[in-house]
Amino acid sequence: MTLHVVPSSTAASPAVAVTHLYRAYGSRVVIENLNLRIERGEFVALLGESGCGKTTLLRALAGLDPIDGGRIAAPRRPAVVFQEHRLLPWDTLWRNVALGLQAADARERAAAALAEVGLGDRLDDWPRNLSGGEAQRVALARALMQEPELLLLDEPFAALDALTRIRMHHLVRELVATHRPGVLLVTHDVDEAIALADRILVMRDGRIAFEHRTSGHGARSIARAELLAELGVVASHPIPA
Amino acid sequence: MSNLEQTASSVAFDAAQPSDNAVSRARKVPFEIGRRGLLLLSWLAPVVLLIVWELLAQAGWLSPQVLPAPSKVLRTAFKLAASGSLLNDLGISLLRAIGGFTIGASIGFALGILVGFSRIAEAAIDRSVQMIRAIPFLALLPLVIVWLGVGEAEKIFLVALGVAFPIYINTTLGIRQIDPKLIELGRVQGLGTLDLIRRIVLPGALPSILTGVRYALATAWLALVVAETIGAQSGIGFLAMDAREFLRTDVIVLTIVIYALIGVAADAIARTLERRLLAWHPNYGGTR
Repeated sequence: MTLHVVPSSTAASPAVAVTHLYRAYGSRVVIENLNLRIERGEFVALLGESGCGKTTLLRALAGLDPIDGGRIAAPRRPAVVFQEHRLLPWDTLWRNVALGLQAADARERAAAALAEVGLGDRLDDWPRNLSGGEAQRVALARALMQEPELLLLDEPFAALDALTRIRMHHLVRELVATHRPGVLLVTHDVDEAIALADRILVMRDGRIAFEHRTSGHGARSIARAELLAELGVVASHPIPA
Repeated sequence: MSNLEQTASSVAFDAAQPSDNAVSRARKVPFEIGRRGLLLLSWLAPVVLLIVWELLAQAGWLSPQVLPAPSKVLRTAFKLAASGSLLNDLGISLLRAIGGFTIGASIGFALGILVGFSRIAEAAIDRSVQMIRAIPFLALLPLVIVWLGVGEAEKIFLVALGVAFPIYINTTLGIRQIDPKLIELGRVQGLGTLDLIRRIVLPGALPSILTGVRYALATAWLALVVAETIGAQSGIGFLAMDAREFLRTDVIVLTIVIYALIGVAADAIARTLERRLLAWHPNYGGTR
C-alpha cells in the first residue's frame, strides 16, 4: 500500500494528477494502470457501465479507500457530493453546511454558501423539511464551503426527477464557473455528461478507454452516438438528441 | 376528598357545556367524539373506579384493614406530610434513586461508548456484561446484603446495577446503528476523531441512549422498592414495612401511590428530555 495523497502546491499544478493507479479487491483487479489529470476549472465527466471501476476511482481520489499502487497527487483534500445528500438530520442547515469548518464566522459563511444555492432564507431549518433537490443543493453548498481545488460528484443527480435535475445542472455550472475547482463527475447519464463536461471519459475494464472533448453544439449528437456506442449501447434507430 | 370532588365536578361541567368548537365538529361528523372527548373518556374508568371504591369503603363493605377508603389515604397523606416524616422519607428515597442512577448510568454509558467504538473492547467486555445481565439483578440481593449489609451502600448498589445494563445496551446499540455513510461524510469533511464523535456519533446514538434512560428510570425505581423493603431505617419502602407491622393499610396504600406518582414523574422527565434533545427527529420533535 502506498501513500494516499501526495501534497503538491505549485501554482501551475493540476487539481489532481493520477499516475499508474492500481486497485484490486482480492484477486479481482478493479483499476489497472490508470492515468488521469484534471486541471483547475476543468469539468470532467466519467461514464462507464456499472462495475467498471468508476466509483472505486472516485473513492480513491476522495481518500476513502486505500490504493494498491500508483500515485495520486492533489494539493488538498477534495470535496465530495454523494448520490445521497448525507445531511446530518440532527443539525440545522447552516450547521450542516459548516461541518468541518473551523472558523469564528462559520454561520455567516454558511449563510453565504446557502444563499448561493438559493436557500439563504432557511439557515435554521431542518434537513427533513427539504425536498430531494433542495437537500442536494445544501450538499453542494457544504462541498464548496471548503473552496476545494477538486470537487468529486458521485452521481449526485441520479435520484432527482428530470426537471429538478435540469435545474441542478444549471446551478452546478454556475457554481463551478464561480469557484473554479477541477470537477470529476461520475454519472450513468450520457446527456448529463454532454451538458456539463468539458471532457468526457469512458471507463472500461479498469482503465480510461475513450476520451472526448466537448465542443460546439453541432458536434453534440455525433458525440452522443459515439459515447453510447463506447458504452455498448447500440441504437436500432436514431434517437433524437 | 376535595381533589376527587373537583375532578368529578369538572367532568360533569364539561359534559354539560361542551365548547362551541366541539359542538360544531359534532354536527359535521355525528360519530366523532373529538380529542377532548377521548381524553375525558380515558379518565372516566379510573375516576368511576375511585368513586366506587370510596362508596364501598364508606358503606362498610370494605374492611379498612383490607383496603382503606381513598379519602382516608388522602387524610393520612396530609397528616404524615404535616408531621414532616413523609417529606423526609421521600427525600431519602429520591436521593438513593438519584445517587444509584447517576453511578449506574455513568458506568453503563462509559462501557457502552467503549464497546460501541472498539471491537477489541467489545471482545474483552461484552460477553461478561451480557452474562451478568442474564442474571435477574434482584436475584443478587442476598449476595449484595452479605457483601454490603443493609445500609445505604446496598441500596445504591442495587439501583446502579439495575440502571447500568439498559444504558449500556442502548448506548452500544445506538452507536452501532449510526449510518456508516455519515461517518464517511465526516471524514470527507475533514473531521478529527473527537469532532466525529461530538458531531456525528453521539447525536446519532442519542435516540437509542434516551430510550435506555427511560427504561433505566423504571428499573431504578423497581430496584429501590425492593431494596427499601429489606432492612431499611428510612425511605418510602421503610414507611410501608413499618406500617405493615401495625396493620396501617392506609399508609401502605399511600406508599404505593407515591411510588406510582414518582414513576410517572420520572417518565415525564424522560419524555421532555426526548422532545427537547430530539427536536430534529420526526418521531419525537414537533413539526416546525
